[in-house]
Amino acid sequence: MIDFRKLLLAALLMSIGAQAPAQTDDAERLKMSALEALISAPPERALPIVRKVLSGDSSAKLKKRALFVLGQIDLPEARAQLIETARTGDKNLRLEAIRTIGIGGDPEALAELAEIYKTGDGDARSAVLEAYLIADDRNAVYQVAANTQDPGEFEKAVEVLGAMGATEELRALRDRPGMAEVLIDAYAIAGDVETLTAMASDGSDPGRQAQAIRGLAIAGGDGVGGVLVDIYRGTQSPNVKEAVREALLIADEDEAVLELFRASTDAAEKRELLQTLVIMDSDAVWDLINATLENGQ
Amino acid sequence: MNDDILTLYYYKDGLSESELLQVRSALEKDAALRARYEQLCKDLARLDAPDTVSVAADVTARWHDSIDRAARIEQQRKQPAGRLLHVPSFAWGTVVAAALVVGVGLGFYLSEQREPEPAIDPGPMANVTPEVHLPSVAFARGMQVHLRESRQELAALPPDAGEERAMLIMHMIQQNRLFERAAEQSDAGDLARVLRAFEPILMRLAANDMTPEDAEALQAQLAFELNVMLTKLGKNASESTGPI
Repeated sequence: MIDFRKLLLAALLMSIGAQAPAQTDDAERLKMSALEALISAPPERALPIVRKVLSGDSSAKLKKRALFVLGQIDLPEARAQLIETARTGDKNLRLEAIRTIGIGGDPEALAELAEIYKTGDGDARSAVLEAYLIADDRNAVYQVAANTQDPGEFEKAVEVLGAMGATEELRALRDRPGMAEVLIDAYAIAGDVETLTAMASDGSDPGRQAQAIRGLAIAGGDGVGGVLVDIYRGTQSPNVKEAVREALLIADEDEAVLELFRASTDAAEKRELLQTLVIMDSDAVWDLINATLENGQ
Repeated sequence: MNDDILTLYYYKDGLSESELLQVRSALEKDAALRARYEQLCKDLARLDAPDTVSVAADVTARWHDSIDRAARIEQQRKQPAGRLLHVPSFAWGTVVAAALVVGVGLGFYLSEQREPEPAIDPGPMANVTPEVHLPSVAFARGMQVHLRESRQELAALPPDAGEERAMLIMHMIQQNRLFERAAEQSDAGDLARVLRAFEPILMRLAANDMTPEDAEALQAQLAFELNVMLTKLGKNASESTGPI
């Protein structure tokens, strides 16, 4: 019975596929539903139907959906067709096929994307990086970053590594000259507290240090308040101090700000710290304001 | 009777009236089963406790949490006189967060606690797709609920680009990330990849920098993919649900 229904479905799709170009919205919707239902058909029956949709004069929308279904068919022929579409299809379909390869996660198909990346335009390259992200193929993205001399391309690959949480791969790229800013952002997104702590504590380049401090706040972690307090106490640079206050605010570490406020004997500094506490909406701030108004402390 | 059924019984979710009665009756008659259920209740109660919120604050969500905080700070800088609270969004977010904590916590719990299911022979009528790896009935149900809710939320998005639409999509992204992580933890890499593939689409929709027609087409594609995955999961779940 199930087989019979599937056959009817296939026949329906094929007949709609052969209709005249003037297709109604209803017919289009029916085709979409038929494609959707195809997911539960036996693969050897589904494949020719999907192929027919892809090679016929169906709308681009329908073909994109057919590609998604094709990606779910676990047959070597389906994979081959997907790779072929990713290489030579119409541009929109090519990009969709690349994404679908990422969803499939098949190592052989993913390996084909390296060549498509090398020879493709900007859109194809972005699509390949997105496919690697979907497939969680960290090494492939690392290879892109490590082998490019183009700063823009490096930045895109590093952003993807950050989103993937690829800490080890990002650390391996740390010495790339002139790319510290991009890398710090990626460390923050990847949550690499260790690397960020090292960079935030390094005062040799105050600009980079300030950026690492903010990155550390974004990455968070249990001990971030203590680390930031230590950095604050260990610097004389107003810019670094400001970066720490901002970082404490981002990390919502009001206890650490309170600690610095109580320890400070500098009125201007106390004002800055109190302002930070007010912005943070800290519960302790009202007691402090009260005490400050009463005692001037 | 396996732990999945007992878990569903605990949450009073996914079991018919007659199945609930059968479980109740079995618990009354079987002391060993009752002891096992009581232990399960304790474990699940721990999952319901506030400390499970730490799961939601995992590294994947931290970035967005920080952005939220930074946005709040920015808002406060712009409006120092008072704080704004968008009550419907807040309530909505709270409901979603509560559901996520239970759902994802359950997923993690089951992935860590359960013994692997015996392999099921797909037989000659194998489906289009390789079977999605679903470590438990409860996980499959949680994932179905997530996909169904995502579909509904997608359909209910305000058509006009704006802050409300962007915020709703960002919530969908956060929710999607948690389930993606739960899928990873539950060794369902194929599901995790599909969920990861949704995120760039959602990000584009949230960016509000495309024409309404393009946004509509993208939304329709995502709705289609959600439907396909729901069909697939529904079939797999019904095939793997055994009798009580």
